[in-house]
Amino acid sequence: MNAPTQSRQQILDRIRANTRSVAAEHLESAYATLPRTYVRTGSLSAEARLALMIERLREYDAEVVECAPQDLPSTIAAQLQSSGKRIFIAPAGLPASWLALGFDWRIDRDLSSAEIELAEGVVTAAFCAVADSGTIVLHHSATEGRRVITLLPDWHLCILYASQVVETLPEYFSRCQNPPMLATYISGPSATADIEMTRIKGVHGPRFLHVIVVHDHADQPKNQ
Amino acid sequence: MSHDPNGPVLAHPVLDPRYAEPFPKAVLPVLRNPQLRKNVAHAIDVIQAKRGKLVQEKSDWQALRSAGAAIRSHVLENLAPYLEIFEARCTAAGGIVHWAADAAEVRQIILDILRQEQATEVIKIKTMTSAEIQLNPFLEAAGVRTYETDLAEIILQLGQDEPSHIVVPALHVNRSQVREIFARTMGLKDLSDDPHALTAAARTYLRQKFLSIPTAISGANFLVAETGSVVVVESEGNGRMCLTLPRTMITIAGIEKVLPSFQDLEVMLQVLARSATGERMNPYTSVWTGVTPGDGPQRFHIVLLDNGRSRMLAKETERQTLRCIRCAACMNACPVYRQTGGHAYGSVYPGPIGAILTPQLMQMHHAQTLPYASSLCGACYEVCPVKINIPEVLLELRSQVVNQERHTAGRFFDPMYLGLRVANLLFSRAWLFHAAQYFGRIGIRFFTRKDGWIHSLPSIGGKWTQTRDLRGFPRQTFHEWWAERDLKPTGEAK
Repeated sequence: MNAPTQSRQQILDRIRANTRSVAAEHLESAYATLPRTYVRTGSLSAEARLALMIERLREYDAEVVECAPQDLPSTIAAQLQSSGKRIFIAPAGLPASWLALGFDWRIDRDLSSAEIELAEGVVTAAFCAVADSGTIVLHHSATEGRRVITLLPDWHLCILYASQVVETLPEYFSRCQNPPMLATYISGPSATADIEMTRIKGVHGPRFLHVIVVHDHADQPKNQ
Repeated sequence: MSHDPNGPVLAHPVLDPRYAEPFPKAVLPVLRNPQLRKNVAHAIDVIQAKRGKLVQEKSDWQALRSAGAAIRSHVLENLAPYLEIFEARCTAAGGIVHWAADAAEVRQIILDILRQEQATEVIKIKTMTSAEIQLNPFLEAAGVRTYETDLAEIILQLGQDEPSHIVVPALHVNRSQVREIFARTMGLKDLSDDPHALTAAARTYLRQKFLSIPTAISGANFLVAETGSVVVVESEGNGRMCLTLPRTMITIAGIEKVLPSFQDLEVMLQVLARSATGERMNPYTSVWTGVTPGDGPQRFHIVLLDNGRSRMLAKETERQTLRCIRCAACMNACPVYRQTGGHAYGSVYPGPIGAILTPQLMQMHHAQTLPYASSLCGACYEVCPVKINIPEVLLELRSQVVNQERHTAGRFFDPMYLGLRVANLLFSRAWLFHAAQYFGRIGIRFFTRKDGWIHSLPSIGGKWTQTRDLRGFPRQTFHEWWAERDLKPTGEAK
């Protein structure tokens, strides 16, 4: 390779010559003075926040069902049953009670892409969700799984607890005191509008996104 | 597009500002192509309507713009330390950071990595930076087959076309044209022109490539200094495929893409999707940091590209160009772009942002007509999520172009500069100015009709009267009238 360090130095020198950077020790305080007058904290009640999240998900054509914590395993089983699919991937850390009987589960302990490609669906948890944009956040922990398992299967069932739903994007970021190494933000199924701005669902990622919202808030569910 | 044998040896026609026709000439074929203009106008109207609706529902939109502008300005002001922090954190996380001063260097760095990997094929996520450095034709010439994976980029690659927009690069192509391209290149004779069928064809075409090609190239929407992470924003999932399945990932990023902290994404992601596609959030956003054992590519290279950017930092007015987050809202709002589409700009960066970015990347040696490709209406500034005052930069660049031109010998007898020199002389001496007014009034009388209007002028004056009339000169100038008024007191003065 042609003298890599030389270009590095040259670029940094040219930047320094053309800017008046603050001294390194003042960088943080200069950054802290930047104006941030935008909305950080949401104003909706817990109920309205959840309703907004569900509305947004449905706008994206995601399929949403709600249940009480004790009904989760049976709700998962019902969802899997109605999908008509049989082979499902589960991340290694998924609670055993979620693995409904009667299906062919492939637990992801370093499955190859080819093995994952053979599966028909995947079931995962989430890190959190943002109601304002209907975004599901994955940090790819043991219950959310490696990135590839929520990508190749055509059908994704995501379990979301009501307590994980925040209203605004800044509220999610304030939950990230330790920023994640990996993250995926999903706002609806894979889509394109590249041909005449016609929105087409399902290009490469999963075409079907199903969400089970678990009412774990004390003040919540009517259907419990 | 002309091809200079002494330029880079790239057989494929490219949007290279060094060889592109000047804008006024390049627009002519577009203006005579009603189909293309219809395609462009339709796409833009759809995005504009969606954007307008979603911006309206955001009560803190202006506060987000101000924060976005402040963060990006702060980064540019302190670019060197932030790049060094990014480099250190990315390296600590297992990434390999390269620096490239220009296009030739980044192309060579990438080719060297591909040679090391013994890669003969590579899958690509849409990246305008790659188009800027003309990576694909270079790699193809070096024997590496490139597969674009974004639907619009596939349409362009298979149709041997060029991007005309930075977010929806094939918006100038309609469904029947896509059908023709796919049917011909994928051997699908019975393909219908239904966008669902066309999208499905692309999915099938790429699926095996995603699963089998072990090397991928991407761009970056943002780099996060605090964590050393890279962020890619997309809709289709082709990006996630390229970021997840291959063994080796190579990312090209302009040096200006860095953000101080992870939290800054809370501003950028809120404004980006709304501005770019009129969505509250794009379907997929990926964040990754170096190499994660067991998840995704186990070798990660990132090339930080200068290619004219560091020079643009020198002056405050021009520097704001680098705040750009490539949302394309400015081109969607631009009345000029709406009529011309992107190709006329002779660069991978079209529209208002291209009109200020391209000439500066070319260090004002090329693309000098682009700063004039604007009516200065200000719509681009109004929609810009990081408040780049594009009209201000356009005016600054125009003055630079004029300063360049008026000192070139060939322009000495140019009627415009000749006229301006004469005007300069007249305006700086009152007696000359009055004399010119006197003689001008006598001269112009021959062209003034009875109705008090001038309907046609000879020579270059005809350029004006060809399309509009000019009012004849009044009998008296204001100065004369004023002087006369002093001599004949009306008796009413107080």
